[in-house]
Amino acid sequence: MLPEGTIRAEHVWKRFRADPLPLQLRAQLKQIKRFATGRRRQWRWVLRDVGLDIQPGESVGLVGINGSGKSTLLKILTKVMYPYAGRVEVAGRVGALIEVRAGIHPELSGRENIHLYGTLLGLSRRQVSERFDQIVEFAQVETAVDRQVKFYSSGMQMRLGFAVAAFLEPAVLLVDEVLAVGDATFQQRCIDRMRDVLHQGTTLVFVSHDLATVEGICERAAWLHNGVLREDGPVRQVLTSYRQALEQVEEMSPTTGPIQLVKAVIEGPDGTPRTQEPASIRLVLRKGTSTPGRVSIGVSEGPAAPIFLLDHHIDVGQGEVEVRCDIDALPLPRGRFFLWAGVFERGGELLRWHPAAHFDVIGPDLDVGPPGIIRLSPVHVGAKWQVEEL
Amino acid sequence: MRVSVSSATIEGGPPPELIYRRLVRPWAMLRELWESRELVLVLAEREFRARYKQTKLGFAWSILTPILLMVVFSLFFQRAADVDTQGVPYALYTYVALLPWTFFNDSVSKGATSITMNLSLVNKVYCPREVFPLSTVATAAFDTLIATGVLGLLFIGYTFMPEGGIVWVPALLAIQLAFTIGATLVLSAIVVYFRDLRQVTPMALQLALFATPVAYGLDVIPKGWQPIYSALNPLVPVIDSYRQTILFGEAPPGGLLALAAVSAALWLVGGFLLFKRLETGFADVA
Repeated sequence: MLPEGTIRAEHVWKRFRADPLPLQLRAQLKQIKRFATGRRRQWRWVLRDVGLDIQPGESVGLVGINGSGKSTLLKILTKVMYPYAGRVEVAGRVGALIEVRAGIHPELSGRENIHLYGTLLGLSRRQVSERFDQIVEFAQVETAVDRQVKFYSSGMQMRLGFAVAAFLEPAVLLVDEVLAVGDATFQQRCIDRMRDVLHQGTTLVFVSHDLATVEGICERAAWLHNGVLREDGPVRQVLTSYRQALEQVEEMSPTTGPIQLVKAVIEGPDGTPRTQEPASIRLVLRKGTSTPGRVSIGVSEGPAAPIFLLDHHIDVGQGEVEVRCDIDALPLPRGRFFLWAGVFERGGELLRWHPAAHFDVIGPDLDVGPPGIIRLSPVHVGAKWQVEEL
Repeated sequence: MRVSVSSATIEGGPPPELIYRRLVRPWAMLRELWESRELVLVLAEREFRARYKQTKLGFAWSILTPILLMVVFSLFFQRAADVDTQGVPYALYTYVALLPWTFFNDSVSKGATSITMNLSLVNKVYCPREVFPLSTVATAAFDTLIATGVLGLLFIGYTFMPEGGIVWVPALLAIQLAFTIGATLVLSAIVVYFRDLRQVTPMALQLALFATPVAYGLDVIPKGWQPIYSALNPLVPVIDSYRQTILFGEAPPGGLLALAAVSAALWLVGGFLLFKRLETGFADVA
């Protein structure tokens, strides 16, 4: 028996049908004929030889582009789906938030749903009742708890779903891209709750495209690509490789539009930019007609929101122009970053906001926070420490 | 978004020795089911609450089907077919049979779609899948229990005393239950893969009602056919036995009933094993 909270998946393979499912009778008959003559179904592999070994209390972020097999893997871990090949063992009660409104029945009241969902997750009535007040409070549905859920707003439904799963103290909590729904306050509370749950020793597997949140919650990340586990390791390392793979395609400046970007570079005093040292960004723009606009420059770690933005009014005539922006001290740690650029006027965009170039920064690593409270902290702050005996 | 990554390294399929095979371990599966017994009840309760929310008649709907059928049969069958009820009021004669029939009918017709109706759960939450058909059987059982109250009223209304053969009822119930659960499990699992059956089921049940001695007696069927008939449809001797024991105070037709018992047991065991086999693919076709 594995210790409670362990996830062990070995050589997991999964396939789905790839041939279309016809609805018309004639097409179906054709298919029966094909079947009878020995031409079998076509299959598509969604998971290929995936192995994942997660210890109790670990928090693992599962990343990958759409269709890479993340959700399928999660479904196999919940035992909702069965693998085509391989072995999967999950020890202990599994709480899964695969889709927020999964266990929620629209005709029933909030109270009835909490009991139903709790029982589905394997708790007795008494155990659910003990946690009932906490769930209601967290979901902020105190006044609506006896109302039918179909009259809830979608935000309320989603809060209820999350609250039930998160407060039933599973040994393993699987969360699939659900936080996108709630408002910012609730998202933050969900993240805090997930962290609390982690502190209680629950194992967490978290699927999200929001890499910043993944980085904030998980210590470890697994990157699935095309059904294959590409990388599995410390979260920062895996996300860095993932971001790089994502960006290599993205870096393409538009060739149409009123303004074209000819060149975009960022340089330090002697070439490569360094942490906390001066750096200068140079953009060369080509323009057809003369109009004023604002040039915006951003730096990001991936496709997510920029770490910082710079913005300046320019008024360029026809032809090429070089825009130069000097930074006193570059607040970036060691790593790879992306330079974004765009030019806008009041009426619209002259140059689409896009990643224009990538660059590496030489410098120290970021300090690591205490486990479980690592937040996204991409900025390097120069600081001097002093500890004095008083 | 495209990722610039060399095309996948692993082509083809997994080595054959890794292929996952569902081991049907009946004891472990039954234990898991036993641990989920509360879930069956909660799902049945949910079904009830959801069904009667926003309805005016509420629980009255539970008894309306058998009563209406009883009235229709009394008005038409009794006159047209001239059924020999051996002095028992026809309404009583047919209602005793309608109770097990309605139970079977409700279980199977709702049970058939129980997995497909709950796909949102089947797809996302783990539980032993048979809780869904079983909860519809539980719902039907509760409906039948309410409808049985009407039987009591009929006895009083006709000032008819049930005979001593009533002691047979638990055994008859067991056979009836085994067959009903078995058939519901089989159908609910197959419907997931062949949705056409959803359309066929109500029609087949309509026909089955007239192929079962509900409106008439078993004596209509030739003696030589009765054993095959009972083996194929265990409800036939069960329904006849209810009448023989409760209404006529006679012994049930032992041989036919034994046949029905064996058949029902096969349905139950076979149905459960089949269900557990098919269960692994539910989420894939959902």
